[in-house]
Amino acid sequence: MPDKQRSIDRVKDIVYQCNRCAHCFDLSWLGEWNKCPAYRYGAFESYTGRGRFFIARALVDGAMDYDAEIAARVFACTECRACAEHCFKYLRTTDIYAAMKEDLAARGLVPEKLAAGLADEGGLGQYHNVYQAPHAERLAWLPDRARVDKPAQVVFFVGCTSSYARQNMALDTYNLLTKFGVDFTVLSDEWCCGHPYLSAGETEKARASIEHNIEAIKKVGATQIVFNCPGCQRAFRDDWRQLTGQAAPLAAMHVVELLADWVTRGKIGVQRFRPKTIVTYHDPCVLGRWMGIYDAPRDLIKAIPGLSLVEMPRNRRDAYCCGAGGMIRYDFEGMANLAGAERIAEAQSVGAEMVLSACPACVMQLQQSRQRAKSRMKVMDITELLEQQLVPLIKG
Amino acid sequence: MNTLVEELAAICGAQYVSDKMVDRICHTRDCGPTPGGIPAVVVRPRTTEQVSEIVKLANRVKTPIFIWGRSTTFIGHGIREGCILMALDLMNKIEKMDFENQVVTVETGAIWHAVDVELGKHGWELAAPGPGGLFVCTIGGSVAYNAVPHGLLEYGMTGDGVVALEVVLPNGDVIHTGSMGNRAAGGLSFERYANGPDLAGLFIGACGVFGVITKVSFKIHRKPEKECFAFYGFDSIDVAVDAAHALQRRNAPTHLVGLFGGPKPTGVAGDAFLHIVIRDSAASAAERLAATHAICSGFNGIRHDETATEKYWVNHMYSWLRNTPPEVYYSDRPYTCPEAAMFMPTQKVKDAIRYLFDYEKEHAEEFSRYGIRIKAYDVYFSRNAAFLWIDTLYPELDAEAWKYGVQMRADYSEHLFREYASPGGILAPLAPHIMPKLEGGFDFLHFLKNQMDPNHILNPGVLMLGE
Repeated sequence: MPDKQRSIDRVKDIVYQCNRCAHCFDLSWLGEWNKCPAYRYGAFESYTGRGRFFIARALVDGAMDYDAEIAARVFACTECRACAEHCFKYLRTTDIYAAMKEDLAARGLVPEKLAAGLADEGGLGQYHNVYQAPHAERLAWLPDRARVDKPAQVVFFVGCTSSYARQNMALDTYNLLTKFGVDFTVLSDEWCCGHPYLSAGETEKARASIEHNIEAIKKVGATQIVFNCPGCQRAFRDDWRQLTGQAAPLAAMHVVELLADWVTRGKIGVQRFRPKTIVTYHDPCVLGRWMGIYDAPRDLIKAIPGLSLVEMPRNRRDAYCCGAGGMIRYDFEGMANLAGAERIAEAQSVGAEMVLSACPACVMQLQQSRQRAKSRMKVMDITELLEQQLVPLIKG
Repeated sequence: MNTLVEELAAICGAQYVSDKMVDRICHTRDCGPTPGGIPAVVVRPRTTEQVSEIVKLANRVKTPIFIWGRSTTFIGHGIREGCILMALDLMNKIEKMDFENQVVTVETGAIWHAVDVELGKHGWELAAPGPGGLFVCTIGGSVAYNAVPHGLLEYGMTGDGVVALEVVLPNGDVIHTGSMGNRAAGGLSFERYANGPDLAGLFIGACGVFGVITKVSFKIHRKPEKECFAFYGFDSIDVAVDAAHALQRRNAPTHLVGLFGGPKPTGVAGDAFLHIVIRDSAASAAERLAATHAICSGFNGIRHDETATEKYWVNHMYSWLRNTPPEVYYSDRPYTCPEAAMFMPTQKVKDAIRYLFDYEKEHAEEFSRYGIRIKAYDVYFSRNAAFLWIDTLYPELDAEAWKYGVQMRADYSEHLFREYASPGGILAPLAPHIMPKLEGGFDFLHFLKNQMDPNHILNPGVLMLGE
């Protein structure tokens, strides 16, 4: 019999609404293109949105109970939200997956490597970052310690990947904010944003992590947070609201939103990019489908003379996940590699010489995929490009 | 691992076979209300040869096969507990776009709209724009079910576009129909009615009971130069049906849709409505549109802004028939639909709609108790008849409402099939309401099934054949 405490039972009205129409499978309006990396990888329908709804329905009806096979289908989801974006009935498919993840976590069915990575001892709980690096080294990239914890209007929330794995991205954002005179600070006690906990179904830990960061931000008196990582931004902007029913007391903005606004209003200057280069833009799932930010990065790219933006067949709401989402690399490395390879091939197919994105995780994933593919295409975070091309206006 | 799984794995490869519950549970039900049994195993062949070997194996072990395309029908497969579920989604390649002979040949699992998109890159399109599920349904499944496509009036049924089929018979033999059957001449697909009887006709609409369609050659044509649209409201259903009948006789529309029940289109006047789509050369389209306006005006039709019609046609979203964006229309309908759909003489639409309205009145108390809602009584008009969709909705969370919804479908199917209607797609749940009425025809289908499929391997029970 169904356990009354299960999260899946709280969302059973959504489970029952699935029409099984299969709109979560394809991007047929673009030809025979895949939409869901998990389906591409797992191949059986159980990896699709419809499949997970079938499973959820069986759980609600008591026809199945949670086990490792169900866990594999649910945790293979990259949380790209492509299924929700095209759901015929506009169902919040990801709410179902989140509920199933909560239930699986409560039963100790989180896949082994992800569970270890997020563990209280030896994992995220101990180090407060997903790289299990010493917390004290979080700001090792920082050129000026005077920025730390100083009272300021704006907090630059660096995030784990920029802090530990791609420190150049932290530095690029730091330099951009400095160059344009933003009154900002960075936090000495920044923890993981909590987003990875949600991917593992550890809702309470996610809430605690966001709460810790909000308290730290309050101490410096800031009213705005700037991110270069969409996952971190979402934690403050949307996840906190979902978890607590209340909006975070801070404006949460991606750095591309900030810069696009300044560029389009003529507040900052733009230098020509040399040599002329064909670029394509990879929409990070969280920035795009989750938060609806499609135009700001494109506006910035288009504003730079010398760059020619070509779109991949799958772009904006149809963009294909690069495989970095949902923390899947921990336990589904083959799938992450497959998705990354497919995205790099797609970028190559439109003749791009450079792939830009606006997410440290996506950029890291695409850079690794490019290397494996032995492609000569360059992969860059948009902040790196902007740090080179955007300049203060010369007064007079 | 059991023997059946091992043998299937030997044919297709282990990664294409699963007997895990988590995979099997996903193949129990289509979009309709009626769940089937849980298959014993799911197998995903990639070639016709593999399909053939699977069918031969099923005969050897006397285990039925159910064929799965995308399962976007609303009727119910009637999948048997413990069967082999053969999913054809991996057979999705476009084999040949033959512009010279105006035919495209695709594997059975190709997605309808995806093929159209590829043809569109060359200025061509499939000879029918596809059924309601065109974004997701397979071409093979649409042919097997003989789905009603958009553009019914001018382009006909899905089956009308078929030039040739490759089919795996219930004994595992592979045949090719029409001109494709002449293997000595290279098996070219260019004419359906060649080489004797129309063998393709045996498999179109047969829902897989006589064979597994593995390849489809379908007519294609150049995209028309012009598309134009019209949208009219009428004071009564009878007058709207008469106007539709006149439009049919004039052969003016490419596609003609009547709205005779369910929510009225937002913000427009009238009790019944016609959406008209015309596709042709610019000159001919203008002429046909003028004729459409003349006919509708003659029946005192009120002309409305045709933007809704255009959005419906271009986006393939039914919500626009009611001048409503899909995010509003569909998100407001958390229900499942026990659909029935049927052909009838055009003038009989008046009687059918009256009957349905009377049914609603007589059962108002049950409708209220179970939260039954009417989504649509819509008609796609064909060249000389009408195809009525009875889309009722029930809240699936309520088991009693589910029972009532299914009974409701049985009631009006039984009545209308007895009076003047004949269903399009049948599958399993509708079969008891129509097959016995076919008398000698049903006997002949039984005879064919028993001769062709003595072990009742392919989709047994569908169309009430091969029990």
